[in-house]
Amino acid sequence: MKKIAKEKLALLWELLAHKATLYFPLQEDGAVNFAPWKNGAQVDFGVNSIVPPKNVFFPQAETYLRFKTGAKRLQLESVEPEEKFILFGVRPCDLASFNILDKIFLEEPTDGLYAKRRRLGTLVSMGCNEPGETCFCTSFALEPAFAPGADVMVWDMGEFLLWEPRSTKGEALTAVINELLDEAAPEETAAAVRLRDTTAAGEAAAARQRGWNTEGLQEALRGKFNDELWEKLYHRCLGCGICTYLCPTCHCFDIQDFSRDLEGERFSCWDSCMFAEFTLMTSGENPRPTQKERVRQRFLHKLLYFPSKFGLYACVGCGRCVRKCPVHLDITQVIKEAGGVVSGS
Amino acid sequence: MPVNLKLQSFEPLIIAFCCNWCSYAGGDLAGTSRMTYPANVRVIRVPCSSRVSSNFILRAFQRGADGVVVAGCHPGDCHYTSGNYFARRRFLLLQRFLEFLGMEPERFQVHWISASEGNRFAAVMTETTDKIRALGPNRKLRDTR
Amino acid sequence: MKQLSEILKEVAFGSLSSGEAEMVIGWQKGPFWWQSFPAFITDPGGTGSLIWDPFSVSNLSKYLLKEVPEKKIALFLKGCDALGFNQMLRDGRVDREKVLLFGIPCDGLVDPARVEAAGLSKGLLQVKKEQEELIFYYKKGQRKAPARDFYYAKCLSCRYPNPVIYDQMLGEAVPCQPVERFADVSKLETTPLEERFSYWSRHFSRCIRCFACRNVCPACSCRECIFDLAEPRWLGKANELSETQFYHITRAYHVAGRCVDCGECARICPVGIPLAELNRKFIKDINELYGEYDAGADLDKEAPLLTFKTDDPDVSSGS
Repeated sequence: MKKIAKEKLALLWELLAHKATLYFPLQEDGAVNFAPWKNGAQVDFGVNSIVPPKNVFFPQAETYLRFKTGAKRLQLESVEPEEKFILFGVRPCDLASFNILDKIFLEEPTDGLYAKRRRLGTLVSMGCNEPGETCFCTSFALEPAFAPGADVMVWDMGEFLLWEPRSTKGEALTAVINELLDEAAPEETAAAVRLRDTTAAGEAAAARQRGWNTEGLQEALRGKFNDELWEKLYHRCLGCGICTYLCPTCHCFDIQDFSRDLEGERFSCWDSCMFAEFTLMTSGENPRPTQKERVRQRFLHKLLYFPSKFGLYACVGCGRCVRKCPVHLDITQVIKEAGGVVSGS
Repeated sequence: MPVNLKLQSFEPLIIAFCCNWCSYAGGDLAGTSRMTYPANVRVIRVPCSSRVSSNFILRAFQRGADGVVVAGCHPGDCHYTSGNYFARRRFLLLQRFLEFLGMEPERFQVHWISASEGNRFAAVMTETTDKIRALGPNRKLRDTR
Repeated sequence: MKQLSEILKEVAFGSLSSGEAEMVIGWQKGPFWWQSFPAFITDPGGTGSLIWDPFSVSNLSKYLLKEVPEKKIALFLKGCDALGFNQMLRDGRVDREKVLLFGIPCDGLVDPARVEAAGLSKGLLQVKKEQEELIFYYKKGQRKAPARDFYYAKCLSCRYPNPVIYDQMLGEAVPCQPVERFADVSKLETTPLEERFSYWSRHFSRCIRCFACRNVCPACSCRECIFDLAEPRWLGKANELSETQFYHITRAYHVAGRCVDCGECARICPVGIPLAELNRKFIKDINELYGEYDAGADLDKEAPLLTFKTDDPDVSSGS
């Protein structure tokens, strides 16, 4: 394992930014979000970003086709991402969300743009030193301080960052910045292992204290389609898109055209099952006529349909919905109400 | 016509929403009287100045207008009695709001032009075009696609 | 405050068991200290779970648009919520006969972000308000601090802490010392144009178009919203600054003269766009140009954009 002293970080950013576009959690007006780094930007590893880094692979809006009429034939030109990039400081929960997005976008028929971005990107994950009060990643068998899918894993050890390349991409990146790295001492490496253990244990204990987990949840939800649970829950939903847009695993999108004069472009963009128009048909028929059906769909999708199809829950326990839902209708409430087995307490 | 921003001498695109009863007729009079006003101005005829929704104005800026003019009957002369009085309140607020967001106040103007004021129509359009030309292309609400 | 919370349970129980109301909308407590959320109770036995605490910030009257209009609904209104309710009434979106209003005097509610910023949130179990103080309860021990230091910005400039409409008032009226609410707008007005433009561009660029600011707004009560219409599609779905500008200009302009300045839009914005400044610019201009007007409170005055004077200030100058 390697390490890099904190005073060398500015040099590191500089060096990496020359290699590729460098996405960091940047602070602006008090809000932390992933954005391309430029000199003078305020990097903030203190809290997880408001908007999850899924938008690096699955942008909120993305043009993939330009068209032109006027000539004899319709001219089409496809648009593809070309730039290599490094996504630095992704939390293990968010990194696990890419796994979930992969199930959707990398299975046949593959989403070519998503696949290409996955190839172009190098993922540097930063372990959590202390999970937040709204975190519950261990409920989905994740570790707060370790991300198995990372190309490079780093840990903030106070004076320095521990740096562990974990894939060929990660090795390649490490080779580029080798001059800035030092060899970590065995006791420093051991500290990272301890950090992994303590954060995971701490988070699991906190989850137990909250009195719910995901054991048996799928079974509990099967047959609950017409349960009065949804009637009870949906009333307070405002029907906004905060939960879906801030969810690292939500992946619904729409296809739209933008045109002016004789040319235009076609783009995909985020959409939200919380919006009434999401399922509105041309005829005026809406198969999910009220917020009740929409709320039910969102949670059953994450906790029942997705796991039935792909074998894993579409939630990574990042806690964004817990924190940001204005009326506190978050997934943990549903898990609890739906009867995820109460354990420990 | 998309305006070519790279042109050395910049020619602004100006959208003028003109009320059917006064300002549009004023424009007609300017035409039949052979008065000239800049070809930069594209006139869109509306029933009344109060028919003009903020959506129209914003959309014009989004799709390449460098300036937008709303023209209606003089206050007191509205064909529908009071439409332009309502419009006057709405557009003064909108003007001040756009300026609050950082838009140059010259870019969105409201003028009262009667059917008999062909000369005023030509003068307003000429003056507006000159002002906007001096300001240069508008990028502030423009769709960059 | 504990007392008020008991009264609240009692009147909720009373109105349901007497059949005066078929549903009560109040607040319930979530697992975290800062979670108080809207609750919809139809069974008198369920009223014991209702609470009133320093986090009962949600405006319950907006739900009247969604709930079954035939039902008679009882709900609790703070000062700001009452203004919103009045505006909905004025916009013809609620039926006064179908609601039973319990007024709650409220001198301010606690912003969890301020508790966090003060470093008090770690291990925090509960926050209670007693007189002018907040008491923070932890596993071991407690801490006290002046309540006003933790209030939402919108509460510090509140001018109507006591509901202006109610059937029954719960508790004693509270005084208020509002700070100047147009300070931020005035400051922005005097900054150079380009600086102002980049200020708003920076904020708008963060917008994720979740529509929470619209959905929470008591003045946004249209049955059909242009932002949802596919045809004509006024608001595109691209992540384009110009589209976001269109959204925010249109939203604020549409509620001009009807915005009650409850500050909910700015409070719930997940990315921290200072939306209240947009609304307040309109309020400030309306006050200056057409005379003081408080939407939701000045029921005897005509709505400023639904009327005119022949000698109103002119608009045509263009410079």
